Amino acid sequence: MRQKGSLGWLKHDLTHRGPTAWLLTLGLFAFYFILYYGGRTLAGVPIPDLFTPIAQALHLPSKWTFYGLLYTLAIAIGGAYVIYKYRHNRYQVIRTSVVIFVQATLAFSVPWILTIFEQPEYYFSYLWPLKMEYFYPSTILSMPLPFILFSLLGSLIMVPLLGIFFGKRWYCSWVCGCGGLANTAGEPFRHLSNKSSKAWAFEKWSIHITLFLALLTTALVIASWGVGENYPVFAEQAASLRSLYGFVVATLLSGIIGVALYPVGGTRVWCRYFCPMAAILGLVQKFGRYRIRVKDNMCISCGMCSTYCEMGIDVRAYAQRNQDFVRASCVGCGICAEVCPRGVLRLENRWRRDPQELSMDALLNETYRG
Amino acid sequence: MHVVIVGNGVAGTEAALAIRRRLSPQDARITLISEEHPYFFSRTALMYAYMEKMQRRDLEPYEREMYRRQKIERIQNRVVDLDADAHTITLRSGATLSYDRLLLAVGARPRMVPFEGLEKVKDGLVHFVSMQDLDHCERLTWSTEEAVVLGGGLIGVELAESFVHHGLKVSFVVREPYFWPAALAAEEGEIIGEEIRRHGIELIVDQELKTIESDEAGRVSGVGLSDGHHLPAQMLGVAIGVVPNVDWLREVKSSPELGRGIRVDRSFRTSLPDVFAAGDCAEIGADGEVPLLETIWYSAKLQGQRAAGAILGDEVSYTPPIFYNSSKFFGIEYTTVGECVGVPSGTRSLYRRHESRPITQRILFDEAQVRGFSMLGSRWDHTLLQQWVAERRPLSYVREHLHRAQFDVEFGRVDLSKFQEEERTL
Ligand SMILES: Cc1cc2nc3c(=O)[nH]c(=O)nc-3n(C[C@H](O)[C@H](O)[C@H](O)COP(=O)(O)OP(=O)(O)OC[C@H]3O[C@@H](n4cnc5c(N)ncnc54)[C@H](O)[C@@H]3O)c2cc1C
Ligand code: SF4
Ligand code: SF4
Ligand code: SF4
Repeated sequence: MRQKGSLGWLKHDLTHRGPTAWLLTLGLFAFYFILYYGGRTLAGVPIPDLFTPIAQALHLPSKWTFYGLLYTLAIAIGGAYVIYKYRHNRYQVIRTSVVIFVQATLAFSVPWILTIFEQPEYYFSYLWPLKMEYFYPSTILSMPLPFILFSLLGSLIMVPLLGIFFGKRWYCSWVCGCGGLANTAGEPFRHLSNKSSKAWAFEKWSIHITLFLALLTTALVIASWGVGENYPVFAEQAASLRSLYGFVVATLLSGIIGVALYPVGGTRVWCRYFCPMAAILGLVQKFGRYRIRVKDNMCISCGMCSTYCEMGIDVRAYAQRNQDFVRASCVGCGICAEVCPRGVLRLENRWRRDPQELSMDALLNETYRG
Repeated sequence: MHVVIVGNGVAGTEAALAIRRRLSPQDARITLISEEHPYFFSRTALMYAYMEKMQRRDLEPYEREMYRRQKIERIQNRVVDLDADAHTITLRSGATLSYDRLLLAVGARPRMVPFEGLEKVKDGLVHFVSMQDLDHCERLTWSTEEAVVLGGGLIGVELAESFVHHGLKVSFVVREPYFWPAALAAEEGEIIGEEIRRHGIELIVDQELKTIESDEAGRVSGVGLSDGHHLPAQMLGVAIGVVPNVDWLREVKSSPELGRGIRVDRSFRTSLPDVFAAGDCAEIGADGEVPLLETIWYSAKLQGQRAAGAILGDEVSYTPPIFYNSSKFFGIEYTTVGECVGVPSGTRSLYRRHESRPITQRILFDEAQVRGFSMLGSRWDHTLLQQWVAERRPLSYVREHLHRAQFDVEFGRVDLSKFQEEERTL
C-alpha cells in the first residue's frame, strides 16, 4: 500500500508504471532520439540539434561529452542515494563507490583529457564485445600501442580470467557504465523486471543471438579488412552489416531501449536480453568460482530477493529449494542478499561450498548418530 | 486416488507438490481448498506488501502456470463440514467433495482475549495474519493518525514497523519487562528495545491493555492501560500470538481428536481414518508425550512434505530438527539455534558484545557441550551452529571455530576478536 499524501502518490506512480513513469520513459525516448539524430534529417524532416549548443556553452568538445557529463552526474547522484540507502552494508558502499569512481575517471575524465592532449578518445572502461569498434582493424590501427594492448589483453585475457574468479560481477556491477547506471540511478525501478519463466526462456535465446551477431560482425569486418580489396562486394556487405549492428545493437538496444525503458520495464533490459559481453561473462561464470550460496531450510519464501533482482532472476525459486546457484544473467550486485530478511543468501567466490563434515540432510534424518 | 488438502498455506502446498512429484495426474487427483486466497502466498511477506516493498502478486512463491502444469485443482471456498464415514467434506457453497485421503493444513488464527470494551468495537481493531487482515489494515491506514500495537512478539514488531512506515504515531505495548523475553535474554531485549525506540516508536513495557475505547460509530478511539494511562488510537493491532485454527472442527459431523490443535501421531495421522493434519494446526506426539506445536514456516514446510509421504503410505516418524530460526527487528538481524527459549535458570552462557555496535553473541553451554546460540546484529550460518550442538562440541571448540559460521557479506565481516566477553548465568 502506498504512503499517504501527494508525495506518496508520486513515488508510487513513478515506480509502479503510472502515468508519471510513462511520461518519463517518453521523455527519455525523446532525449535519445534528439541526441542521436539531432542535426540530421529523417524522411525529409529536419531534427533540431538541441545538445550541441549546450555543449558549446559549457565549453565541451561535443554533445557526446555533454551526454557523458549527464551520465556521470546520474551515476554520482544515484550512487549517493544507493550508498545512503545501503549504508549499513559495506559491500554495497564499496561497490557503489567504485562504480562512481570508474565512471567519473576511466569513462569520463580520461577520454576527455585524452582529447585535450590530442590523443584518440579512448574509454578504458569498455572492452570488446561491448565496444565492438575496439576490435575493428581500422580502429586498432589508429590507436597508440598501449591502447591496442589494453583492448586485446583486456578483452581476451582479463575478461575471462576475472570472470572465472569473480563471476560477471567484477565487470557488470563494478566497472561497466551501463550496469553502473542501472545499479545507481536505476535503483528505484529494480522491482519492475519480468520474473516469469517465459522471460527467462526469451533471455536465453536473445542474448546468444546477439552474441552470435557480434562474433559474426567482428569476424566479417576483420576478414573484409584482410581480403576486402579483392572482393569489393564482400567488403560492402561486411560494412553494411557493421553499420546495421551498430545501429540496432549499439544505438537502439543499448541506448534508447536500454535506458529509456527503466521506468516501465525495469533496469538492465539491455544487459539481460541483449548484451554480448554479458553472454560471454555469463558462460564463464557458470563454470567459475562465483556462486550464490543458499542457507539450508532458512528461506521463508517471502520473495524480497526475487522482487529486487534487477535481472529478473527468481532467486526465491532456488532459495526455497535449498539450492546454491549461478545464473548466467546474474550480475552479482548482491542486492538479493541485502534485502533478504533472513540472511539466507551470500555471494561466494569459492570452488566448493565450505566443506562440512556433516550435511543438513544427515542432521535432519539423524544419520549422523549411527 | 483423490487427495483433498484443506488449506493452501506452505504445509498444504508443499504436501501437494510432494505428492505430485511421485504420482502422475492419472494416479492421483489433487485438490487444494482455501478460503483465504486462490493461490499459495507467503504469509511471512504480508508486511512487505503493506509497506509497498512488494506487490501482492509477488507474494506468490510459485508461478500461477505451475498449478495448471502440475494439474493441481484449486477451490476458493470454506470447508464447513467433514464426514469421515462417507469420506466427504462440504463447502460453504453447499458442494460436497469426496476424498480418499484428506490433509488438514488449516494453519493458525490470531489469539484473542475478551478485553473490556471489546463488544462495542466494530472497526479499527486489526490482526496481521491473513490476506483479509492486510486488506483491513490498508483500508484503515488512510484515516489513522495514531496506532497502538499490542503484544511483544515477531508479528507485533512487523506491524509496528509497517505503521511507522506509513507515518503513524505508534505506541507498542508489551506486557513483559523488556521486548520478547520468550526468546531473548534481558541484554538482547534491551538492545532491540533501543532499536524500536530509535525508529520513533513509543515502547511501553510492563503494561497490560485494560480497556478498549470506541467512538459512536464503533471505531476504536483509544486504549486504557493497567497503570491508568490512556493512549489515543484509531487503529489497534492485536498480535498476542496465534492458536491452531481448530474451533470449526468441533462442529463438524466427525471431529478428529483435538487438543490445543489437531492431535496427530508422528506420521501425521489424526484419530479419523485417512485424515491427516500438518503445519501450524497440528499437535504432534504419541500418547503420553508432551504434544508439540510448531508455528514456524520451516516446520510447516517440512511437516507438509513428510505428511505427503505418510499419505502415500511411507513409514514416517517425524521428529523436529534441532530448533533454529532467524528474524529481523527493523535493521537488526537475529539468529537463534538450539536451546535458547525458556531455558532453566542457572544455565550458563557466554555473552559477547561488540564494543560500539549493536552486535552480540550469546552461547549457552554446560560442562559438556554447547546447547544453543542467540546471535544478534550479524549474519550466521545456522547449519554449522546446529551441527555443533548436534555433535555436542564443547565451548572451547566452538569459540575457536566461531568465525567459520559467520555469514556476513564480503567486506562486512565483524572482527570477532573485538568483542567484550563474559560469562552470564541466566
Ligand atoms: C505476519 C506473519 C509473519 C510470520 N513470519 C514468520 C517468520 O519470519 N518465520 C517463520 O518461521 N514463520 C513466520 N510466520 C509463521 C508462518 O507464516 C506459519 O508458520 C506458516 O504460514 C504456517 O503454514 P500452514 O501451511 O500451517 O498454515 P497457513 O499458512 O496458515 O495456511 C492455512 C490456510 O488454510 C485456510 N483455511 C483454514 N480453515 C479453512 C477452512 N475451513 N476452509 C478452507 N480453508 C481454510 C486458511 O485460510 C489458510 O489460508 C509468520 C506468520 C505471520 C502471520
Ligand atoms: S551486461 Fe553488458 S552492458 Fe550490462 S553491465 Fe554487463 S557488460 Fe555492461
Ligand atoms: S541474483 Fe542477486 S546478485 Fe544476482 S543479479 Fe539478481 S539480485 Fe543481483
Ligand atoms: S528474500 Fe530470503 S527468505 Fe525471502 S524468499 Fe528470498 S531467500 Fe527466501
